[in-house]
Amino acid sequence: MSGYKIAVLIKQVPDTSSKAGVNPDGTVDRARAKKMLNPFDKFALQKALEVRAEHGGEIIAITMGPPPAKEILAEALEYGADKGYLLTDKRLAASDTLATAYALYSVVKYLGDVDIVFTGLQTTDGDTAQTGPQIAERMDVPQITYLEKLAVVDGKIHGVRVIEGGVQKLTTSMPALITVANSAKPLEHKRFHNVHSVKELLRNEEELANKIFTVNLDDISADSSRVGLVGSPTVVGKTWKLGEKGGSCALFKGDAVSVEVAELVDKLKADERGIEELVQ
Amino acid sequence: MSNYADIVVIADQIKNDLRPITFELLGAATDLAKKLGVKVQAIVMGYELGDIPQTLFHYGANEVFVVDKPELAEYTTLTYRRAALAVLEAMERPPHILLCGATTIGRDLAPRIAAYFETGLTADCTELEIGDYEHKGKADPAKTGLHKDCLYAIRPSFGESLKARILGPWKNPQMATARVGTMMPNEPDNSRTGKIIPVSVNFDESDFRVSVEETVYEVSNTVDLTQAKVIVSGGFGLGSADGFDVVRDLSSAFADSAVGSSRKAVDAGWIPYAHQVGQSGKTVRPALYIALGISGAIQHRVGMSNSATIIAVNKDEDAPIFQFAHYGIVGDLYEVAPLLKERFKTAMAGDVNVAKVGG
Repeated sequence: MSGYKIAVLIKQVPDTSSKAGVNPDGTVDRARAKKMLNPFDKFALQKALEVRAEHGGEIIAITMGPPPAKEILAEALEYGADKGYLLTDKRLAASDTLATAYALYSVVKYLGDVDIVFTGLQTTDGDTAQTGPQIAERMDVPQITYLEKLAVVDGKIHGVRVIEGGVQKLTTSMPALITVANSAKPLEHKRFHNVHSVKELLRNEEELANKIFTVNLDDISADSSRVGLVGSPTVVGKTWKLGEKGGSCALFKGDAVSVEVAELVDKLKADERGIEELVQ
Repeated sequence: MSNYADIVVIADQIKNDLRPITFELLGAATDLAKKLGVKVQAIVMGYELGDIPQTLFHYGANEVFVVDKPELAEYTTLTYRRAALAVLEAMERPPHILLCGATTIGRDLAPRIAAYFETGLTADCTELEIGDYEHKGKADPAKTGLHKDCLYAIRPSFGESLKARILGPWKNPQMATARVGTMMPNEPDNSRTGKIIPVSVNFDESDFRVSVEETVYEVSNTVDLTQAKVIVSGGFGLGSADGFDVVRDLSSAFADSAVGSSRKAVDAGWIPYAHQVGQSGKTVRPALYIALGISGAIQHRVGMSNSATIIAVNKDEDAPIFQFAHYGIVGDLYEVAPLLKERFKTAMAGDVNVAKVGG
């Protein structure tokens, strides 16, 4: 077979730019929130498309979540993925990053002989950037995190990785796991002829059955004791809202802008904030 | 002597330069170790490390494990993973707590170590504390009960304006990465010394599946937000990429200033990622932070809320940024910013007649 077998791991996250499901205090009601494809994952999809365009092969989008997460698999197909796999199982609830990594690794293993696994750098809801490297550890493969550019030559991946104040140029053998930085090339919004639109695809059960596959833990021979609460070494112990201090801000409003600005600068001086030394 | 195992910090160095996060981690570890009555240990990996262990003692380490090998001259995931595992597995018992920086090294390495030991890891913490935890849930009976002196790994939880305390007391090491700029380093004490413990490591051929061709520092493209004394940032309220002209213009009023941005403005493609302040960008604490058209979502807030003085300009009086800014103006930033610049220059400049170049 020519070309590479490429897995792209994606996640459905709450759309925080939408007002839907956002409570007045800023917290999110996940059940009512509008959902979207994790924006970081689009950079991963773009890299997968680049490799396939150059070398051929197949792109398989994988996600884990409740049944509606199928929507982002359809979206991935619209961008050009060949197939999608949804891992959905009630036993996955409350999985932390380690348990999630085991579950996603189990899907990749089930697919067999994957050459490259792409993930986004992190998700916008969890924001940990841990799941990718933890999957690589399970797979016992090398990883390149924060990848910005890559070229595949003679079965090796040459990547440019962003580090503090610079870049590292690396070469790795395959299979490998790559997390793609959000400074990489954005996803080209190109529609593929074999897919119509997300909504249309989701209505077309016949086509859906050939392209999007739903599996549970038993289907992929995953150990249910390594996922969910039981398989997670961490829990969220307590959450609290951030600083509703209020009132500590000296707010200037209602006057002409020039008056507000003058009052603010006068107050800064009166408060001896030391701003004078900063002005040039 | 405490019943607890020690606290271990993995030193973050590039080309034998200890990065500031290392000192911050040692500062945090010192506080935690005092509460537990244990030692602070550091692991440093690299090649020809010279007096780096001494520096680690000056900043608070009691003992330093040193893995000094030519194979570790450049950071790669698998070689550093092997070296870190060699140190950790040589210990009589796992550390109580293991800390790494939330840097491109720590965020690359820590998850692999955590997955190897199948232990908990909390990402990008902004506070670390010690405390008790009672797990009341019965879904997993093995977890139920009171756990003393756990690591409280505290981090903002996004999309939800919350801070979350993450716990993993069931297995050591309890791991966390700490966000750059959030922990306070100790004052260095050059008379402090400690025990150096050299550790040998046997690499496997498979550890060399990744090779580094080159490391390039792009000085010209780097926006050093973390060093600027004044940061003027623009957000989605600018409305377009051109809006950053106003941000840059106001920034030019200050001698040592830089331009920052919210994630939304970066996502919109108005300004490069290097300018991003916040959870997935930089953490900054300048003397003065001016936010123009930034609503103040939690993701932005954690990156700048330690700034000495925060001034916010926003049309929306209910914008969350006014909850934590010190000064605010409700109004159109396009009107306010030029006037602010003028007023700063006339009312505040120490010597208005001297025109300075650059800055």
